[in-house]
Amino acid sequence: MEREQAGPPSFNRRSLLQAMAASLALAAANGRRAEADERALPYVNAPEYVVPGKPKWYATSVRFAGYLQPVLGKSIAGRPVKLEGNDQHPATGGATDLFIQAALLGLYDPDRSQVPLHLGQPATWAAFDTDVFRLTAEIDRTQGQGFRLLTGAVSSPTLLRQIGDMQKRWPGMRWHVTEPINEDERLEATGRVFGRPLQMLPDFSAPAAIVSLDDDFLGPGPRQAMQARAWSKRQPRIFMAEPTPSATGTRAGERLIVPSARVQVLAQAIALGVGMTGVAAADLTAPEKKWVDDAVGALGAGNGLVTLGALYDAALHALVLLINERLGSFGKALRFTDPILAAPPDGKDSLAVLVDDMKAGRVTTLLILEAEPLQATPAALDFRTALEKVAFSVHGGLYADATANACHWHLPLQHELESWTDGRAPDGTVAIVQPLIRPFLNVRSPHVVLDRWLGGTASDHDLVQASWQTGWQEALLAGFVADSAPAAVTPTVRDRTVPLPQVPSSDGLVVEVRPDATQWDGRYLHNSWLQETPKPLIQATWGNVILVSPALARERALSNGDELSLRFGNGELLGAAWIMPGQEPHTLTIGVPDSFGFLDSRRQAGVRLEKTGKTRVIASSQPIQDMGEFDYVRTVESGGEAAAQHKDDVSFYPPRKWDSPSWGMSIDLDRCIGCNACSVACMAENNVPVVGAELVAHGRQMHWLRIDHYTEGEADAPRHHFQPVPCMQCEQAPCEMGCPVNAAVHSPDGLNLQVYNRCIGTRTCSAYCPYKVRRFNWFEYTGDDPDSIRAMRNPDVTVRSRGVMEKCTYCIQRISGARIAAKIAGRPIHDGEVVTACQQACPTQAIVFGDITDPNSAVSKRKASPRNYSLLEEANTRPRTTYLARVRK
Amino acid sequence: MPQIFTASADTRLRTAALLLAVVFVVSLLFTAGFMNSTYVTSVGWVVTQPVPFSHEHHVGGLGLDCRYCHASVEVSAQASLPATHVCMTCHSQIWTGAPVLAPVRASLADNKPLHWQRVARLPDYVYFNHSIHISRGIACVECHGRVDQMPLLARGKPFTMEFCLDCHRDPGPHLRPRDQVTRMDWTGWHQDPKVAHEQLKAFGIQPDKLTNCYICHR
Repeated sequence: MEREQAGPPSFNRRSLLQAMAASLALAAANGRRAEADERALPYVNAPEYVVPGKPKWYATSVRFAGYLQPVLGKSIAGRPVKLEGNDQHPATGGATDLFIQAALLGLYDPDRSQVPLHLGQPATWAAFDTDVFRLTAEIDRTQGQGFRLLTGAVSSPTLLRQIGDMQKRWPGMRWHVTEPINEDERLEATGRVFGRPLQMLPDFSAPAAIVSLDDDFLGPGPRQAMQARAWSKRQPRIFMAEPTPSATGTRAGERLIVPSARVQVLAQAIALGVGMTGVAAADLTAPEKKWVDDAVGALGAGNGLVTLGALYDAALHALVLLINERLGSFGKALRFTDPILAAPPDGKDSLAVLVDDMKAGRVTTLLILEAEPLQATPAALDFRTALEKVAFSVHGGLYADATANACHWHLPLQHELESWTDGRAPDGTVAIVQPLIRPFLNVRSPHVVLDRWLGGTASDHDLVQASWQTGWQEALLAGFVADSAPAAVTPTVRDRTVPLPQVPSSDGLVVEVRPDATQWDGRYLHNSWLQETPKPLIQATWGNVILVSPALARERALSNGDELSLRFGNGELLGAAWIMPGQEPHTLTIGVPDSFGFLDSRRQAGVRLEKTGKTRVIASSQPIQDMGEFDYVRTVESGGEAAAQHKDDVSFYPPRKWDSPSWGMSIDLDRCIGCNACSVACMAENNVPVVGAELVAHGRQMHWLRIDHYTEGEADAPRHHFQPVPCMQCEQAPCEMGCPVNAAVHSPDGLNLQVYNRCIGTRTCSAYCPYKVRRFNWFEYTGDDPDSIRAMRNPDVTVRSRGVMEKCTYCIQRISGARIAAKIAGRPIHDGEVVTACQQACPTQAIVFGDITDPNSAVSKRKASPRNYSLLEEANTRPRTTYLARVRK
Repeated sequence: MPQIFTASADTRLRTAALLLAVVFVVSLLFTAGFMNSTYVTSVGWVVTQPVPFSHEHHVGGLGLDCRYCHASVEVSAQASLPATHVCMTCHSQIWTGAPVLAPVRASLADNKPLHWQRVARLPDYVYFNHSIHISRGIACVECHGRVDQMPLLARGKPFTMEFCLDCHRDPGPHLRPRDQVTRMDWTGWHQDPKVAHEQLKAFGIQPDKLTNCYICHR
């Protein structure tokens, strides 16, 4: 349609008809696109053991902060579509966490760096290889003086072997490590107490009581899957002292809210309480004294463990080690092995030494692999200025972010799911990582980058295989190398002196820096699943907040969303305030990613706070978290007591008899630590779309399974609860009653079904649903997915378009698969054969799913517990998803 | 007052209304007829393939079993198409120079798959599982028609939901012994309704559950 001049179309009859014809043609073209893949491309040479339509499972691992997280990767048609826990792995036994589940999106992320960049411009690997070839001649000449390698934490034997090869060839070369959230203080403490650094491996299933001094051992981190699974086996009583609420604190029987400065004093008091000598006494407030007495009493019963948060001083860790020795937990609740992560030559000062050398001009060549020093180091270190002094800098990583843009070369690296590599799980067990898909971008493995630098030509497969001469096949099948965990060390205490530092100042406001529950140290900025997952206890998405206590909020007239300015020294942080019930009155909490531009330590006193007068919209998935008068989460006084019930068992109809199998689910609220592994696993399994911050702020997030967070009691010292809420699959479903087109129907096996094709988007079902578990596709969230996201989608689950309602289906694709397999084999479905995605992901095994008509199934046994109750019983919906009440400890 | 409407206004209005009603009914009939016609169902419409593979020759003439090529039909949801390698098991020794088979040879040589045009395609929201149907004694010809009489493949039956439901509501007449599912010309049980009913039980099929949405849709 030619037009003389630009402008709005003039709607005379001719142009209107033309517009109609054009839109019709477009619609037809669109329709053509939907029908377009009518071709089938079979193999040319079909590989053995591949049955089209059936997934293949490979045991592999994904990496997090240097540790390997064992997974079983489900691969369909040559690409991974889901990651599940490796139930045979000695460390995790099948547990996962949200970072593991979201690693799948990391592979397919359309934001991933796709080509090498030279000075910001797309280049080729050949050009890089040429540059390196010239460079290595120079490095040879200087014996490596001025050549530095900077990586994140490393546990990979192959990478360490390659670094060793580099150091042999170039003795002047040095390797540095930067890992913002680490256990350096613990390693230093063991070094001081035992004479050499040892890895502390607490076994949270062993003790009868755990006293945690601000150690969030059930919280996010590379050890969460392992530690949460261990804790969930016996769920020992926890005494927690912390300044800011944490997942572990929500499970604590007694939670003491203290500024972090008091933790040292509490440790001293506990030391005295268990009978240690030579420890200074300290004044305790009345609540502190009560807490210490109760804790010591529980520890005194034998079989106890005291644990301290990683960010506290080495000296305090040393004291806690001695307390544990006194308790006799060495070798039982607290084991030691050689360090699992390799220590760089300069230990915990590695990054500082590198930056010093860079600023002094001693570094001419810098190779940064899988580290982001410009984004993830304190601004005071001024890495950017130091980097400008380096003549030739190379950055290798998954994304081309700030660090990549500041270096001369950026190399796009492979994700673990498409790589051969190796490493150690948090318990030290070695695993070989095998790829689930051939790299589909122009990327290289870090092993290959190092090998080419050394002049080699090997593939990552050959490089890794060279490290593992025997047991290769067994290691690949199992997902780990059997018995490869370092042997337990029985250490002897060499140094009992514990020079405790002065109790740090608590003047004014203290800022505590905590790992971000969904971003860790900011490395998951691009991962939209993690961005949209609400941070437990806060429920904010797409960005972080500054936690303030209710007392401070009252004092300074702060409300949620007020923009705050925090100032210390030359640094300033602007952020939205969030009033956190249970926060210590003069403590503010910020996330690690926000801390880099503001502070250079994990704790800072004397911070000034001001309101800027503006407000920020916090994309919160749950604006109201105070449970108030309601009892969504119920608590009973002891395990045998029945949960409060207000059932109104009124019905005209006789109770319906269900055929086997009839599905139900039980969620144990005592076990749920709010980690959100289940929520992200559900997104991965069911193709749940991401909607973005603006829509989350409107309450339009699409999570089929959400974790609600409730506070019970007064805001200054409440109890915190988590409650996963999937579809209740009500036997008397209001949604089924309300749907005008019968898109919500009930299946003979007890499921509430959503028929997408019938749904016309009236949203009556959602209006009728008392649990608000039905999510509506307000916009076309999936229609223009990039190709890599379309490859990620689970082909067994429909991808929903605009205008239809969707909800948790109890993983009906898994139920159907099991039903068909059982029918073909001529047998009933075994208990445990159908495992929903959320059930599999949960590290504490809070979710159990199965046949409720079978009294011997695991779910029936859970539902038979007196703690069993339904949510919103008074609505008389007869939900199939029920909860087990918490037990007051 | 002047007359607004002429004398024939009523007649014209009634004629127009009648015409509208007739047009409405006819368009409904037309749409229904159109949707059931082969324009939409593609029954009998031969699809052009890169290689004119003749089921009539291979199945009817040579007697190849369906599973020789569609190997995963008993174990997987997909029946799957044969790899080029499977074609070459025979055609590396017979018709080795035939021009009509040049794309097959090229596929093997270049390691590029053949782009077959799908005939028996269901929409994405239908999750059809071959293995359960085979295991329950539903023959290939029930849905795919007499491929041994098709020189070039076309859809044998309309893949409308009505077609699927006709069997799901009353599977009895469509059953046959498990070992006869790939035979083209088997007759046996359809004539005797009593046998059909007994076989339903033997196969463990429950028709009242088969028409539930979740059987095919997710």
